Amino acid sequence: MKLTRRDVIKAQAATVAASVAGISLPASASNLITSSAANELTWSKAPCRFCGTGCGISVATKNGKVVATHGDVKAEVNKGLSCVKGYFLSKILYGKDRLTQPLLRKRDGVYHKEGEFTPVSWDEAFDIMADKWKATLKAKGPTGIGMFGSGQWTVHEGYAAVKLMKAGFLSNNIDPNARHCMASAVGGFMRTFGIDEPMGCYDDFESSDAFVLWGSNMAEMHPILWTRIADRRLSHPHVKVAVLSTYKHRSFDLADIPAIFTPQTDLVLLNAIANYIIESGNVNQSFIEKHVNFREGVTDIGYGLRPTHELEKKAKNANKAGASKAIDFAAFAEFVKPYTFEYAEKMSGVPAANIEKIAKLYADPSTKVMSLWTMGANQHTRGVWTNNLLYNIHLLTGKISEPGNGPFSLTGQPSACGTAREVGTFSHRLPADMVVANPEHRAYSEKVWKLPKGILNPKPGAHAVKQSRDLKDGKINVYWLQVNNNMQAGPNINEEMLPGYRNPDNFIVCSDPYPTVTAEASDLILPTAMWVEKEGVYGNAERRTQAWYQLVNAPGEARSDLWQLVEFSKRFTTEEVWPAEVLAKNPAYKGKTLFDVLFKNGQVDKFPLSHISQDYENQESNDFGFYLQKGLFEEYAAFGRGHGHDLADYDRYHKERGLRWPVVNGKETQWRFKEGSDPYVKAGTGYQFYGKPDNRAVIFALPYEPPAESPDAEFDMWLSTGRVLEHWHTGSMTQRVPELYKSFPDALCYMHPKDAKQRGLRRGDEVRVISRRGEIKTRVETRGRNKPPVGLVFVPFFDATQLINKVCLDATDPISKQTDFKKCAVKIVKA
Amino acid sequence: MKNILALIKLGWQILSRPAVHLSLGFLVITGFVSGVIFWGGFNTAMELTNTEAFCISCHEMEDNVYMELQSTIHYSNRSGVRAICSDCHVPHAWSDKIARKMQASKEVWGKIFGTINTREKFENKRRELAEHEWARLKANNSLECRNCHEFDSMDFTRQSKRAAFQHSGALASGEKTCIDCHKGIAHKLPDMAGVQGISH
Amino acid sequence: MFKIFTQKWLTGCFGLGLLGLSLFVSGVSNAQAQDVQIATMRDNILLTEEVAPPAIAKVENKDLKRMRDYPQQPPTVPHIISKYQIDKNVNQCMDCHARDKASDVQATPVGVSHYLNREDEYQAGMSPRRYFCTQCHVTQTESKPLIDNVFVDVNDLMKPAAK
Repeated sequence: MKLTRRDVIKAQAATVAASVAGISLPASASNLITSSAANELTWSKAPCRFCGTGCGISVATKNGKVVATHGDVKAEVNKGLSCVKGYFLSKILYGKDRLTQPLLRKRDGVYHKEGEFTPVSWDEAFDIMADKWKATLKAKGPTGIGMFGSGQWTVHEGYAAVKLMKAGFLSNNIDPNARHCMASAVGGFMRTFGIDEPMGCYDDFESSDAFVLWGSNMAEMHPILWTRIADRRLSHPHVKVAVLSTYKHRSFDLADIPAIFTPQTDLVLLNAIANYIIESGNVNQSFIEKHVNFREGVTDIGYGLRPTHELEKKAKNANKAGASKAIDFAAFAEFVKPYTFEYAEKMSGVPAANIEKIAKLYADPSTKVMSLWTMGANQHTRGVWTNNLLYNIHLLTGKISEPGNGPFSLTGQPSACGTAREVGTFSHRLPADMVVANPEHRAYSEKVWKLPKGILNPKPGAHAVKQSRDLKDGKINVYWLQVNNNMQAGPNINEEMLPGYRNPDNFIVCSDPYPTVTAEASDLILPTAMWVEKEGVYGNAERRTQAWYQLVNAPGEARSDLWQLVEFSKRFTTEEVWPAEVLAKNPAYKGKTLFDVLFKNGQVDKFPLSHISQDYENQESNDFGFYLQKGLFEEYAAFGRGHGHDLADYDRYHKERGLRWPVVNGKETQWRFKEGSDPYVKAGTGYQFYGKPDNRAVIFALPYEPPAESPDAEFDMWLSTGRVLEHWHTGSMTQRVPELYKSFPDALCYMHPKDAKQRGLRRGDEVRVISRRGEIKTRVETRGRNKPPVGLVFVPFFDATQLINKVCLDATDPISKQTDFKKCAVKIVKA
Repeated sequence: MKNILALIKLGWQILSRPAVHLSLGFLVITGFVSGVIFWGGFNTAMELTNTEAFCISCHEMEDNVYMELQSTIHYSNRSGVRAICSDCHVPHAWSDKIARKMQASKEVWGKIFGTINTREKFENKRRELAEHEWARLKANNSLECRNCHEFDSMDFTRQSKRAAFQHSGALASGEKTCIDCHKGIAHKLPDMAGVQGISH
Repeated sequence: MFKIFTQKWLTGCFGLGLLGLSLFVSGVSNAQAQDVQIATMRDNILLTEEVAPPAIAKVENKDLKRMRDYPQQPPTVPHIISKYQIDKNVNQCMDCHARDKASDVQATPVGVSHYLNREDEYQAGMSPRRYFCTQCHVTQTESKPLIDNVFVDVNDLMKPAAK
């Protein structure tokens, strides 16, 4: 019986497969290879191109092509595992529509805003760009130009970009898409600890007794970290997993304590837990006495909307949203007192018994607990507050910076930490946590960059959402996007994004490997080399810096973002972009190009081509004549060495599977701020939160405040957007891998069956998801992986044919300026 | 009050007295008819407890098992033929049905005393409750499954290869019964550690 | 004006059988040069337009194993899995794919790599870090990708060398 069936299936399978492919089975299909050379693959290492987990990937190449990818068994992060996206990395380079030539909108042979995309040479592309940049700088100065980059830039690219914009064009209008992703996390770190990025590391997973997820679907968004939690939970029965979210998703499959809360009430739940810790007598008194200050933040801070919006006019403290005043423990205890479990249940809908169970995980001194969060906490109009409140409960209990105990802010993008944050590509930042508004920081940067004194612009530039508004308002006229697809990923596309891109006064440049919707909305498209088509460095969520070599060449004329930035700098002389009085005072800089002063400055061009590994290509370095990546990295590393951000020598990263900074005396750091583990902490202190002048972290008293927009009689549902496991962000890479496309081809509107029934809808029905700003058409899904509660729908944003961000509100956290993509009001009607 | 007592007394006297004016035939027919009415009423009442509306009138049923049922093929499918609770959980044969209803009174007891009145209590009881149903279906050779899914009516050529293989083999030979493989088809499975046939 | 007849929509509604119509429509669209959009994943729809979404794609359920792009690629699942529960209570994939079950039903047993723990040691049973199968193994719907992929199979690269 069994044999018959197997034989039947095997024969059938072979014939069907062969007939589908339209071939007959060749007799020699199983010939073995006899030549060892022909059979050989070249294996190299690279970090994964996708999320902030930073898995190590083994990449096989042959004859100039990537032919296989899998999880690197030597990589600490993932130890041989990879998620489905990572396994298919080989194919992201090979979408048939790869861009291989610059494309300029032209009519009758010349640039025209409404022209058709026409192939042009790099020279012609840079000519028109330089013309537009120079004209704008002349007319409007540095605020008229803008750049939108990425947490997917390599460290080198982000560093070159920030240098070109801030030191070259003297413009702070540069921001990364990490603004949409990690800005609230950064705000939380800076406010509580005075220094960015997690104190703990992934090693915590193997020693925790409890994991609490706050607005994170790790099972889909950080799958490999989820394997480490699953490993721990399923092999240690005492371990507990609590999952808090506004809708049920795959992470609930492992949850011992599930909790669905009403959007925005995480603020209430977190304060209720703090209150419980205090009232149950579980405050770690000696810890807070030695290592903690208490402060109360200002409230009624608005929603980061345009100043003309009613909500902003009403808000009392919109222009000093980050302000706070010192209080003491007693005042803090009094502040959180109203946040009882009963009140929290009433507000959040989570049964008090469940809140208590979660609170006990934190309060019990013998339970090592790890809090984990991502976009649910960060994409939040009170995202910085949420981050602050999460740190509160770890600081109250002293459960921080030790194996298994710690708050862990997960990262969305592969180098949101390494590039966007550490390099400082935000509109207000400089490398190594420094800021443009601080004169000392500017002076230090000017010294490292060998610039004339006082040249850097002290005024923070436009952040992501502001850039879109400024484009629409005609305040920014030239705009360059690299490694992001903001026309799909940014908020309120119809009202606040597309009008700016298509504004006839504006010239939009988009660098991308593929023709995305952002490319579509642009005027000039630059074809970009991606991932292992260039040498690069990424930094992951646990402060791990990882490097890779260029393994294959990019197709056609595609060039890396790094090459584009550095090459473009040759088009400008200092006279064209720097104030005449600066040059008069510093005549040595006269007559030079930005390339000369930024990149051929005796530092970046310090390392000869002979330092490059003989086994690998390096397009940019060979073109410019020096080992560009090493020069950029070493100059950049000068910012952080000795300041708590120490990086190792560049060459070492090519040998290691990454190192977690600070790397002091050749050794990486696993737990920061803790004596014995962090070289910056003095003996005898126990802990030092050295980001703050008095070495104390801050516990913040912050209340619940309502979201910017809540469902009402007409727009009666919450909308949350997000990702799915199989697709990365806007799907520009993963939708081009057939296996990934076919696994999840189209976006859907996940909805509770009762909500569907009430609206006369069935699974599969075509519906319109409508907000006050726009609408899309999609289909109802009442089954499947996401199960929203009554009153909430979830629509993922990977699908370019269903631009759900047309519907989203461009409200941001007033402190971090990060958009809230998780909450707005919509109605669902049958199409 | 006196009048009422007198009325009852009169009534009893009439009832206890042998029929003098009524024919035997009339008595038999009346008795039969009222028996039918009473019997029908009993069964109607019992049928009422078989409706879905009755079952999910308790939130324990509605929030847990009924919610889970709705995303399964036994609730929503291509042709719209669907099962309600009693189709699977109440035997169709009368004597079995009565036995099951007696058993079910324990569930009412559970309702009154709140044995599963929270999600957590329900989860803790899920394995035990599931095991009762598995044991019952195993003992009656999956009778409630077979009420609809008749073996002789299965067209293996219209099943997936995997299904056809199992149904024409283990099921046909009697080696296995439906519930052996089809656990958790309408509700979520409990912690299956140690359940025969489950691998980890 | 023909843009509502997108490739995605056609595939969803009529399948490959109407390839001819699809070609006809795309031919017409291409003729309208000023409307041609370059955002290929947008499926030739203007950014400001909304069109009918394709029907929810059906999962391929043919039980035919698919070729892997390279040996390290996790095989895609050739059957419907929506009925199988994978949570902390039970992993129903293992009802067939466990080592001691696979032969009964002639399923593919989980690969030997699935027995390795983080320390690279083989364990008696499957490593719990591999517990959630769908993190790597995904089903395939009957949809047709909008863009071809020109990844080259290593066997094709080896051909000239083997001669």
